[in-house]
Amino acid sequence: MKFLEDIILKLGAVDRRFIFLLIGLAVLIPLLTPITLPVRETPTTVKFYEGIDNIPKNSKVLVSFDYGPSTRPEIHPMNVGVMRHMLRNGHKIYISCLWPDGIYMALDALEEITDSVNPDNQSTFDIKEYEDYILLGYRPGAEAVIKGLASDLRKVYTVDAKGRFIDDIEMMDEIQNLNDFAYIYSGSAGYPGTFEWVKYGGDPTGVPMSSGTTSVQVNEVIPYVQTGQLIGLLAGMPGAAEYEKLIASPGIAIQGMAAQSFAHIVIVIFIVFGNLAFFIKQRRDRKY
Amino acid sequence: MTFSAIFGAWIAAFLTLGIFSYLYKDNPFYKIAEHVFVGISAAYVAAISFWTQIYPNLFGRLFPKDGPFSFTGLEFDFNHEFNILYLFPLILGLMMLLSVFQQFNWMARWGIAYTVAIAAGLKAFGYLNSNVLNQVKASSVDLFSGSLPFFSLGGDSVFNNIVLLIGTISSLMYFYFSKEQTGNFGRFTRLGIYFLMVSFGASFGFAVMGRISLLIGRFNDLIEYSSVDYNYGTFYVLLFIIIVLGFWSFKNREK
Repeated sequence: MKFLEDIILKLGAVDRRFIFLLIGLAVLIPLLTPITLPVRETPTTVKFYEGIDNIPKNSKVLVSFDYGPSTRPEIHPMNVGVMRHMLRNGHKIYISCLWPDGIYMALDALEEITDSVNPDNQSTFDIKEYEDYILLGYRPGAEAVIKGLASDLRKVYTVDAKGRFIDDIEMMDEIQNLNDFAYIYSGSAGYPGTFEWVKYGGDPTGVPMSSGTTSVQVNEVIPYVQTGQLIGLLAGMPGAAEYEKLIASPGIAIQGMAAQSFAHIVIVIFIVFGNLAFFIKQRRDRKY
Repeated sequence: MTFSAIFGAWIAAFLTLGIFSYLYKDNPFYKIAEHVFVGISAAYVAAISFWTQIYPNLFGRLFPKDGPFSFTGLEFDFNHEFNILYLFPLILGLMMLLSVFQQFNWMARWGIAYTVAIAAGLKAFGYLNSNVLNQVKASSVDLFSGSLPFFSLGGDSVFNNIVLLIGTISSLMYFYFSKEQTGNFGRFTRLGIYFLMVSFGASFGFAVMGRISLLIGRFNDLIEYSSVDYNYGTFYVLLFIIIVLGFWSFKNREK
């Protein structure tokens, strides 16, 4: 028994760099040799899917890119999936960005789902700018921008991301404010993002909305789902993987789930050993 | 693959591995990556804010085409009409910038006061409506309607509603400090702590999951850049960093 306790104590005091290395390997190996693990849809993801699926066909929807490269692995697969789902149902997509680098994320996502850029991909569409989508671009001001969009979109966006006058774009003809959209979706990595869209966009206008968030935010955002302020939620990379499964378009999120699972197993093992080592040490200190 | 794409991939691999090198210890590669990130982020946000907001929405309204200041040659055509009210944000903005001069830094307070007041007013309503009223309304659950099953793991049920009710009240009671938390009241508030602990545990789990997701993202890119298309960028950069770090550690071994 003492021998076992000594091993646990040694494991509990292992150099942190060794733990980093193990977690790195636990993530890297499943990415190099892809392993497919089953993905089970959670109720919030199913609700999210149904919310988007129930938007009347050929509607106008607002998609907000509220994230940057740092949180791209979590949010990007969600936004790509959401746009695919919306385009399948014939919706017209209006893209706004509350984060300065959101505009590049939007351009990347559009490239991924465009036929001409990815001719070999089965989940791409023959989409045209100013017909199927419009990239309104970034505006600084966080909640003030959302408030502006709720009252008069044309005061916030006089030109789109390419500098073209909004008044000259036919796709914008019937758009005056948020009430003219059938649905709002925000792919959010923090401030400004889901919270601000709920408070200043969804709640005051009554336009149905949903969101995809980073894992870190889930605990704070999930009450909005229970109150109905959000129609479902995509919670971090697992949420994105579940959604990819629901829309039958497997992508990078599903690929990443094996790495997620293995890394978590390593972390749990170290937490268990760390705690056991703590209690053994505490008991021994008390004894002597 | 174009030269610029390969060059960009090598830079990205270098910066990613430079940041990762901090896991070994603080070192010059980490410092380079950190400073480049901070510098580029600040410059990018400043530039994009100017060209997407100040230029079209402020200058476009103060100096529109055929506006009263056209004679000066200052004209910015964004389909706006002249609006004198936009002079106030311009003045307040300039006053905030003047804070770099010590004798004028009192001026910055006016701009800051305006911003704080607007933000406070804007947020007060949002919080009250979305975070207080709607949440209170949602926690008023029907326990004995008969339409709900007694137990359900995923959806609404009587059992889940009881947990919600007890959890909400006991957690709130924990923050009630006007009565000593002893006896039955103390036991009830301790139950609140357990609910809070579960919530913190879930937050920790989600935070770990988020960090691992980001690591997966970086590894995916590094794997892509290690391919022949990018001239094995990741491998060469990794080798370079390891050699230099090894040499640097050897030279500074007494530290």
